[in-house]
Amino acid sequence: MAPTAPTSEARPTLRRSLAIVWRSLRSMRTALILLLLLALASVAGSLLPQIPNSPDRVARYLVDHPLWGDLFWRAGLFDVFGSWWFTLITVLLFVSLVACLLPRSRAAIRAMRQRPVQAREIDSFRHVAELAAPGDAVSAVAAARRVLSRRLYRVEVAPDGAALAADKGALRELGSLVFHWAFVLLLLGVVIGKGFGYTGRATLAEGQTWTDAAVNYDALSLRPGRYASGDHTGVGIRLLSFRSDFRSTGVPMDFVSRVELLDAEGEVAGTEDIRVNHPASFGGLRIFQFGFGWAPVVAVEQAGTSISEGPLVLGQDRAPEGVSQLAMPWRGFLKLPSLRPQIAVELELWPDSDAFFRSLETGQPQPMLRQNAPFMNYTVWSGRLTDPSLRDLDTRSMEEIGSGVIGAGQTVDLEHACLVGGGGAGDETSSACPAGTPTTLTMAFPDLVRYSVLQVTKDVGVPIVLAAAILLLMGLLPALYTSRRKLWVRAEPDRDGVRLQIGGFALQRKPQFEEEFAKVVAAIADATGSSDASAREMVEAR
Amino acid sequence: MTHAELAVWSKDLFNVALFAYLAAMVASFAYLAFRAKPLAWASTGLGVAGLLANVASIVTRGMAAGRTPWGNMYEYSAILAALVVVAYLVAVEWRAHLRTLGGFVYAFVVFTMAMAVQFFYVGPTDLLPALNSYWRQIHVTSMIAASSLLGIGCVFTILYLVKDRGERRRVAAMQAQEPPPILGAAVDADTPPDLLPEAGEPDPQPAPGGRRGPLPSAATLDRLAYRFIAFGFPIWTFGTICGAIWAQEAWGRYWGWDPKETWAFITWVIFAGYLHARATVGWKGRRAAVIALVGFVSLFVTYYAVNLWISGLHSYA
Ligand code: HEM
Repeated sequence: MAPTAPTSEARPTLRRSLAIVWRSLRSMRTALILLLLLALASVAGSLLPQIPNSPDRVARYLVDHPLWGDLFWRAGLFDVFGSWWFTLITVLLFVSLVACLLPRSRAAIRAMRQRPVQAREIDSFRHVAELAAPGDAVSAVAAARRVLSRRLYRVEVAPDGAALAADKGALRELGSLVFHWAFVLLLLGVVIGKGFGYTGRATLAEGQTWTDAAVNYDALSLRPGRYASGDHTGVGIRLLSFRSDFRSTGVPMDFVSRVELLDAEGEVAGTEDIRVNHPASFGGLRIFQFGFGWAPVVAVEQAGTSISEGPLVLGQDRAPEGVSQLAMPWRGFLKLPSLRPQIAVELELWPDSDAFFRSLETGQPQPMLRQNAPFMNYTVWSGRLTDPSLRDLDTRSMEEIGSGVIGAGQTVDLEHACLVGGGGAGDETSSACPAGTPTTLTMAFPDLVRYSVLQVTKDVGVPIVLAAAILLLMGLLPALYTSRRKLWVRAEPDRDGVRLQIGGFALQRKPQFEEEFAKVVAAIADATGSSDASAREMVEAR
Repeated sequence: MTHAELAVWSKDLFNVALFAYLAAMVASFAYLAFRAKPLAWASTGLGVAGLLANVASIVTRGMAAGRTPWGNMYEYSAILAALVVVAYLVAVEWRAHLRTLGGFVYAFVVFTMAMAVQFFYVGPTDLLPALNSYWRQIHVTSMIAASSLLGIGCVFTILYLVKDRGERRRVAAMQAQEPPPILGAAVDADTPPDLLPEAGEPDPQPAPGGRRGPLPSAATLDRLAYRFIAFGFPIWTFGTICGAIWAQEAWGRYWGWDPKETWAFITWVIFAGYLHARATVGWKGRRAAVIALVGFVSLFVTYYAVNLWISGLHSYA
């Protein structure tokens, strides 16, 4: 028994399967379903806390709902927009889009090159009209051609000159193609920008200079793109001053960082005010106002030699429910690892002592909007330092050796927690050092300055994304609001003139075309000298 | 007038508008039921009166706050209401000569304004600096305009679904009773009236029995719905792009999947799905309408739920 050769349909080769996958990707139905899936995935991403936006809420969720949390975690639902399946849907959608666009674009180019095709039978179109006109067929058709050309139709007159075909509205397909290709471009811009760029935060106190290098970004704030080379620009920013304005109600009005921008060689390139909504652009970087705070300048000396001097960036305590954030003190840790035993000083800053005392009097926390006789509560710890963080102190290996209050312009003895030399108005809460105290380790608080947090971003994709967005809109309008229309005219000699047959239809916006058709017929009647009475119009619905 | 007095005026005018719209809604539904012309006039008159009060309320609010009055959810809602009423009066009553649909539109407006009073009222205050941007103005204006157009589109989509169901029933009943006509085209019960060979809008032809009953034919409602959605969609697109530009200026990233951004995207994708569905064989008509309804739910979430329940950078209610 000779085996019969399998018919070509019975053998699912790899090639054929791929062809089937390709064909189904090209279908509009697939695109539709993928679009809806994309929407569905985004819903999940907005209902659950997301790691990139709110890591602390994710952590809390995991503690509060251990079972669901674990399940969601495994499904990647806490980072939907970074998950493999979100990427998969997007990639499929774009493959589908390109698969759809390539043949469509080819067809559109071909259609645009092709001249309108003559109709065999004009009677059968959706809109038909007949006119009787004087003169001969060729001149009547020539008159109709002028009418249609003036209305921006593409017109093709038949070789014998007695018929024409016309169309209009290629812009619809063109617009749709521009729109869809713009979407591809948009994704490219996003991928390039996020992949090759980086973003991070820089904190600098007034007078300080910051340089764009990976080590200079705030801890954990630097997010390099997947393909970023790791090179930075070396551009510098010097904070000249920071200003914040508040209404008396505590509503913030304006934050301004006045900065000097330095190129990679350290030359001053200009001065700029960076405020919310007004970023600076320099050397390929965009620099945004992100946050601000207070940085007391503290100077520590041991036996007359300086061990540490400079502004110390403090963080603000989080306000409890119902209390203005502006009423909260600022906190940070000064760490002196070179001393034996090692010393840490916890500092709690109240920038406005007036507001502080009013809070005590009224029992109502008062917002501190400006600097006014600032002071700090300090606590000195001695022992072994385990981490360098300025915002935290591990006190397990340390013991408290004293605490007190220091006002701006004062100096304290850290070992004895007392004021050296009585540097100002007698403050009841802090005591001056008794005469004869052997002072070796001192901390001075000469000044209080502001610091500013700047978001520094390099995103080369932004211009691409912007261009894509503009194309998207420009394509969308004709894609939605124009319509493809086709018209045909044929003239046949009649008793003492010609009989003109006009037919046409629109693929979209049909109600509007009915009116337009009537106008075109009237215009042709005018141009050919057809008397209105002889126009026998049969605008009929098929 | 002082700023405080202006603020009170604004609030009173808001309430006047709310009640005028409520009365217009009642009059319009009454017209739908009884078909007495004076009721339709009353509805239009009340709607126009409400609109005047609404606009006056917005203007006085802006004067009281000393800035453009679209800085928070309460103010957005007031503008949304005014735009919906304008779009309805111009496009539906004046241009399309349809007077039976007002009740549904006013119901939507009254709901929006009542929500604003109930959940979002704040006095006229200054704006946070992040909200103080040129792009923000354009973004917010176009988002509200688009919401109003999409909102009306969805009111008509619901009516379309209701009417379409009724028409199908009637056609089925007709077929069951009468023998098919011998001459002329037979009515094909399986083909909804809007199912046309090409993409785009359905025909203006009345469906079988379409002029019966209080509402316009299903095909008319479907076309109206499509018009409003196709008008609103590019504006939504434009508004979202402006929002991204603003985010780029204010926060240094044009897109961060913040909940409001995410939902604006979801809504956009769903309405893009609707436009595709109308051009896809087998999805036209009812299925496309259902997608539009899902889009409406999403619009609703974008507009309200994000501010009420999900927090993010955009929560300025
Ligand atoms: C990436 C997401 C996509 C978006 C946001 C999108 C959006 C749109 C929009 C707004 C329209 C205009 C609808 C109209 O003219 O009424 C449209 C039309 C169209 N889209 Fe898409 N689209 C996407 C993906 C796709 C894909 C993947 C395909 C192909 C498989 C596709 C094929 C088409 C076609 C053929 C039309 C023309 C419909 C017509 O006017 O007859 N689209 N699209």
